[in-house]
Amino acid sequence: MSSRVVVALRIKAPPVRVFEAFTREIALWWRPNSLFAFTPRSPGVMAFEDVEGARRLVERLASGKVFEVGKVRVWEPGQRLVVGWRQATFAPEMDTEVEVRFEAVEDGTRVTVEHRGWDSVPSAHVARHTFPDSLFLRRHGEWWRDLLDGLALAAADRQPGTTGEGQA
Amino acid sequence: MAEGRPDLISAVLYRDPKAALAWLEKAFGFELVFLVEDAEGNLGHSEMRFGAARLMVGGEWSDDHKSPASVGGKNTQTVHIQLSDGDLDAHCERARAAGAEIIVEPATQFYGDRTYRCKDPEGHIWTVGRNVETVSVEDMERRTGLKITGQV
Repeated sequence: MSSRVVVALRIKAPPVRVFEAFTREIALWWRPNSLFAFTPRSPGVMAFEDVEGARRLVERLASGKVFEVGKVRVWEPGQRLVVGWRQATFAPEMDTEVEVRFEAVEDGTRVTVEHRGWDSVPSAHVARHTFPDSLFLRRHGEWWRDLLDGLALAAADRQPGTTGEGQA
Repeated sequence: MAEGRPDLISAVLYRDPKAALAWLEKAFGFELVFLVEDAEGNLGHSEMRFGAARLMVGGEWSDDHKSPASVGGKNTQTVHIQLSDGDLDAHCERARAAGAEIIVEPATQFYGDRTYRCKDPEGHIWTVGRNVETVSVEDMERRTGLKITGQV
């Protein structure tokens, strides 16, 4: 799992709040990208599911089917989250992983996403769209940057005492 | 809150760009915001943030892209850091402690900025400034004998 994309952003909300927004409210800020669709029927609605302590990230499709993106490997609210990340076309030996770190800084949270393991997906695989490796990773990183922008808006929006509180 | 990217971004080249990312954070407090590494751990692309500014940090990715360490220490451009808060001298001490070579110690200039100049481990020259006094154009001209047009 050596190839990786790292994207970081400062968000004006405390780590516990940003973690909550990242997990419980993922459907609100997620921005699907057709280049990186999980399934041919995507996009659906993203969710972290918790079934008797077994947490996983899923995409709920319009058909009613639920696609498991990955199992949660580390769940430390306000600090760290690690989750598997697979597309439907991945062969069994292909696996990528997303680690999200939530670090308290003076004006809120520095949230860092590290997406690693793309070297397990061969360069000719359909998920890579014939992009050279570095360009593919860069595009994927740019998508994460968009996603964190959305997360930042969602996390700052529902803090107690802000103007977002209580609004629809 | 979405962070837009500025209209102008310097790209600074290093023989060892991954070491540079760590050094720039330690010395100047820049923060990594974007990084792509391939399966061999080679850096593909990276960006750091400082205030509203961005800096790209890269390797010597073509024959025409070289670190000063590969061309006898020569610089053809330098990057200036303008502090909007904090203490210039403390900034200098932090850089020194991280291994920067201070080539001009902190001093207050006629235009009202306190500045210093240093080299990083691969020989890039960095200038750092912090405004400490508001000086009128008339005062600048009186202090230097120069004719000054325009104002920043």
